[in-house]
Amino acid sequence: MSTTLKRVHGYLAEFENVHDLYHAAEHVRDAGYQRWDCHSPFPIHGLDQAMGIQRSKLPWLVFCGGITGTTTAFFLQYITQNVLYPTVVQAKPITAIWAIPAWFPVMFELTILFSAFTTLFGLLALIGLPRFNHPIFASKRFAKFSDDTFFVCIEARDPKFSQEGTKAFLEKIGGKHVELVEDDI
Amino acid sequence: MSHHVTFKDLPEGGEKFDPAKASGLITPLLGLGLLGLVGSIYFFITKPAEFAYSWLFAFFFCFTFVVGGCFWILLHNASNSSWGVVIRRLFENLANLVPVVFVLSLPLFLIPSVKDSLYEWMVHHHHAIEHVKEAAAHGDSHLKGGAAIKEALHHAGHHTLSAKFGYLNISQHFQPVAFSWNTRFILYFLVLWYIARTLRNKSLQQEVDGDIKHTISARNFSCQWLLPFGLTATFAALDWIMTIDYNWFSTMWGVYIFAGCAWSSMSIMILLVTYLRSLGYLQKVVSDEHYHLMGKLLFAFTVFWAYIAFSQYFLIWYANITEETRWYLTRNTGGWRWVSILLVLGHFVAPFVLLLSQTRKKKPFVVCMVGIWILLMHMLDIYWNVIPERGPSLGLGVVAPGAWVGDVVAVVTVTSLTAYAFLRSLGKYSLYPWRDPRLLESVNVVN
Repeated sequence: MSTTLKRVHGYLAEFENVHDLYHAAEHVRDAGYQRWDCHSPFPIHGLDQAMGIQRSKLPWLVFCGGITGTTTAFFLQYITQNVLYPTVVQAKPITAIWAIPAWFPVMFELTILFSAFTTLFGLLALIGLPRFNHPIFASKRFAKFSDDTFFVCIEARDPKFSQEGTKAFLEKIGGKHVELVEDDI
Repeated sequence: MSHHVTFKDLPEGGEKFDPAKASGLITPLLGLGLLGLVGSIYFFITKPAEFAYSWLFAFFFCFTFVVGGCFWILLHNASNSSWGVVIRRLFENLANLVPVVFVLSLPLFLIPSVKDSLYEWMVHHHHAIEHVKEAAAHGDSHLKGGAAIKEALHHAGHHTLSAKFGYLNISQHFQPVAFSWNTRFILYFLVLWYIARTLRNKSLQQEVDGDIKHTISARNFSCQWLLPFGLTATFAALDWIMTIDYNWFSTMWGVYIFAGCAWSSMSIMILLVTYLRSLGYLQKVVSDEHYHLMGKLLFAFTVFWAYIAFSQYFLIWYANITEETRWYLTRNTGGWRWVSILLVLGHFVAPFVLLLSQTRKKKPFVVCMVGIWILLMHMLDIYWNVIPERGPSLGLGVVAPGAWVGDVVAVVTVTSLTAYAFLRSLGKYSLYPWRDPRLLESVNVVN
């Protein structure tokens, strides 16, 4: 008998195949849950729509990152070659921005570099990685998510979550072994 | 999610386009084309030299669509792509406009004065040939045939032309050169016509027997003919436009033109699909997903064109070799400078920004608006490649005064007639290959 204080992570329900998971996802979406997720051994086409997931904000971050790269490269070259240390090379113009063709390669490369960095670090920030552990691993059955079982987990921090209601709901939409996942604090 | 389309939803025998339904567009096009033809004949008589450039510009503008059409069917087959099956027939029809474009190119091939005002090197060759004939008549020539012409060019001070004689020459009745400008002129059309016809025939044959072997043989054929196609597109552009200034050379320029071909023909396809859908065709087979896919390819070729265009400019700008920079000097001074800047912004920046977002690429209206813009920019691109040579070559200043009227007449004529022939040709076969084994895969594509 343990007296350790535990935190409820949410309800975990099992599904046997893609078909069941897909329709369960549609039900959860239509019931208005916000904090929940599907777990499957492989990607499932169309699950995004079934879950009602909005487009990621990452492209906007990457766009801003790319623009920052372009302007950084532009000013880096403009300031060094026009303001601080103007140098005439092969009689090419150095006045104002008409030397810009020579700067394009660096502008291009920094755009790519900054975009790539924003993509990687933006993605990690948005999905909350890296982290050492996840409460869902407290469930013993969950290990099968990488083998042959499909899961839906509705988290306790969802505003619509309730101890009885959510469990009954998951059972109603066909979830097997509905389990309350609790994690050590 | 939308309903999953099955064979039960699609009509047996595909959908046939009835040109009568599109008479609102076809009849005005024919009228405009015929009217323009009268105007063109007038200009060919009154201003032959200036109008030669107008006609070359207009003809080449339409030629790029045919090249693009050939490219897309070759690529669809060679890459074994399934999403494009529903629009493949339209591209096949676009590629099969080769004979129409050939007829429209005939003034460039048949009228000597047109060729002479466009291609200065031909004039020098004519002089050299005259010189050789005279020498032969006096019996004081030690060389014969091509070698004699080459020698004559050298003596006349045209060292570049003498050095380029192996490629740049014209056949004459007394001195046939197998690999001449004239032979190649015909060869280009033959290659494109062969590609377009073979691939459409395979596709049509499949509608008769439904055999998968046609898909496989089309794939094999496409893999083999991509290389000849690439050479044809490159050298056709070289022969017709680059040799206007025979001193200039750029190995990237063929790719540059090709990028424009693929880009603009994809825009044509987007607009055509939208037009056909507005008439009630292709309702079940084309979805927003196809617009997204076509939009992605438009975006890809926007970037590709910019990459090639900049690389070419950059190499020439950096190396600063007289023969090469002249081409850009013409286009970067006077009024042409603003056209060059407009091309950078309109040909690259605007479509790039507009097509960047996935949401916008999935909206047919937005993609169509961008498509129209792209066609205008492609026209400007070809104009910018051909026309700046006219004033200096003909000794009429930077811009030949009043010649723009001829440009408008030529482009309206050639485009209207080609578009008329294209729309008429759509009615012959089903609008999509209805027995292709991957039709449903293409119809239900999600990306």
